[in-house]
Amino acid sequence: MTLNLCVLTPNRIVWDSEVNEIILSTNSGQIGVLPNHAPIATAVDIGILRIRLNDQWLTIALMGGFARIGNNEITILVNDAERGSDIDLQEAQQTLKIAEANLSSAEGKRQTIEANLALRRARTRVEAINAIS
Amino acid sequence: MGQNPYLQTQSKFSIPQPLISLHSSKPKKKKKKKERKKEKKRKHHQTKIPNKQNSSLKKHPSFNSADLCIAELTQIKTMSCSNLTMWVSSKSPLSDTSSLSFGASLNPIRLPSQNLTTITPSRSITSNPIRCSLRALRDRIDSVKNTQKITEAMKLVAAAKVRRAQEAVVNGRPFSETLVEVLYSINEQVQGDIDDIPLTKVRPVKKVGLVVITGDRGLCGGFNNFVLKKAEARMAELRQLGIEFTIISVGKKGNSYFIRRPYIPVDKFLEGGNLPTTKEAQAIADDVFSLFISEEVDKVELLYTKFVSLVKADPVIHTLLPLSPKGEVCDINGVCVDAAEDELFRLTTKEGKLTVERDVVMSKTEDFSPILQFEQDPVQILDALLPLYLNSQILRALQESLASELAARMTAMSAATDNASELKKDLSMKYNRRRQAKITGEILEIVAGADALI
Repeated sequence: MTLNLCVLTPNRIVWDSEVNEIILSTNSGQIGVLPNHAPIATAVDIGILRIRLNDQWLTIALMGGFARIGNNEITILVNDAERGSDIDLQEAQQTLKIAEANLSSAEGKRQTIEANLALRRARTRVEAINAIS
Repeated sequence: MGQNPYLQTQSKFSIPQPLISLHSSKPKKKKKKKERKKEKKRKHHQTKIPNKQNSSLKKHPSFNSADLCIAELTQIKTMSCSNLTMWVSSKSPLSDTSSLSFGASLNPIRLPSQNLTTITPSRSITSNPIRCSLRALRDRIDSVKNTQKITEAMKLVAAAKVRRAQEAVVNGRPFSETLVEVLYSINEQVQGDIDDIPLTKVRPVKKVGLVVITGDRGLCGGFNNFVLKKAEARMAELRQLGIEFTIISVGKKGNSYFIRRPYIPVDKFLEGGNLPTTKEAQAIADDVFSLFISEEVDKVELLYTKFVSLVKADPVIHTLLPLSPKGEVCDINGVCVDAAEDELFRLTTKEGKLTVERDVVMSKTEDFSPILQFEQDPVQILDALLPLYLNSQILRALQESLASELAARMTAMSAATDNASELKKDLSMKYNRRRQAKITGEILEIVAGADALI
């Protein structure tokens, strides 16, 4: 029994093939999904998606969206997604530093929210690389 | 080329006649040329005088080679033989040299005319424009050729880009289709709870936000004009209904249009990129979102060009917000505000879209949909979904608009290329006719001169 995983962004299909297991970070915490999981609908937070494929763990950085699980079919709809192996570590770390600096210098509620979001995105990208190595 | 139509019609009639008459006389001409060459050496001094006069004459505006041919012909025939010997001999050397060298072939025509200046000054003027118009014709042909190359290249570029834009639409399709599917199945389950979601809240419409998507560049036929005309029509409608509106303009062409009309209230100017991405869609979505949530506007409409096929694209109005299940938005008096011809509106709001997709959705989702559990509160899930839906709608509109723009450019440029080749054909025909007429004129002079000499 295998799971079918499909990760979609408005631009392209990031992932569309069979997997053994995934760990998904939802708005209410991380959930692991194995074959024959109960049908479920959940909002997906900004965070890492871990995929187990033949005893190998892969990561995808997800930028928030929605997931539907059922009938051994997982459909994840997100604004943006990047495979951990496609992210440039140096660039990601630099973005993280900039985001941290932006947050500390943010003024007002709206700016703080935006800076927080940017920081979380940057952190997720860095984590997605580190999880591999 | 402005004065040419008149001249061309004349040349059409006048040229063939001298040519026909000449064919029979051609053999004679060659023999007589040699004789004339000898003469020219003897009477060389005579040629110099007319040349000086020529230069002064060049400034005059005038008629056409065909006219000249006729004029010369008639003159030669009517003139007395004694007079003719003088200037025929003087002109013949020039005609020989000129026929050998390019571009200078006009001389023979001038010579008789200056001799005639004493008799009929108006005739002398004629020599000049011929050269101008011939050269101008050649230049014009060249410029048409260059323009054709440019339009051809633009057409090819647009064709390549259309393919890429279509690919982008196709790549985005699974996402939007799944999204609609999911939205539908969730909507079924949370029916009734939906009131709490701000994006679906229907308020009496006092102000409308109109997102107008245009292209960044011109040279694409009526593409931008159609969009802007539709926008104007919609604005007039809203004004009639007594509803305020504000514009969110996307694309350089639309921006410059609205900047030129300061009486139209514009909330924001945005620029579309080469290929629309989620970032651009996000920028528009953020703006629309904040306008709607802050209750500055009560309805958001999206005006873009729907891509039907490579040769067809329609500007359409599509209601973005609120995402109402009914697909109808009413003003304070309960009168429907939506444009009557807003055909897409009923189809593309949430309900409309879903009805279109319903058959597919039902068969696919039936087996697990009834027992679908929500990890979070349904409202929270919808909250996460609706911005995604909004974004994908805007992105889709941007992509379709771009595809239509490129298709329009492709059609326009291909028409321009066709026109250019037609124009080129016409012009070169005219050029060759005129050139031939000139040569005919030269030959006629030579023959007439030779005849006069005998």
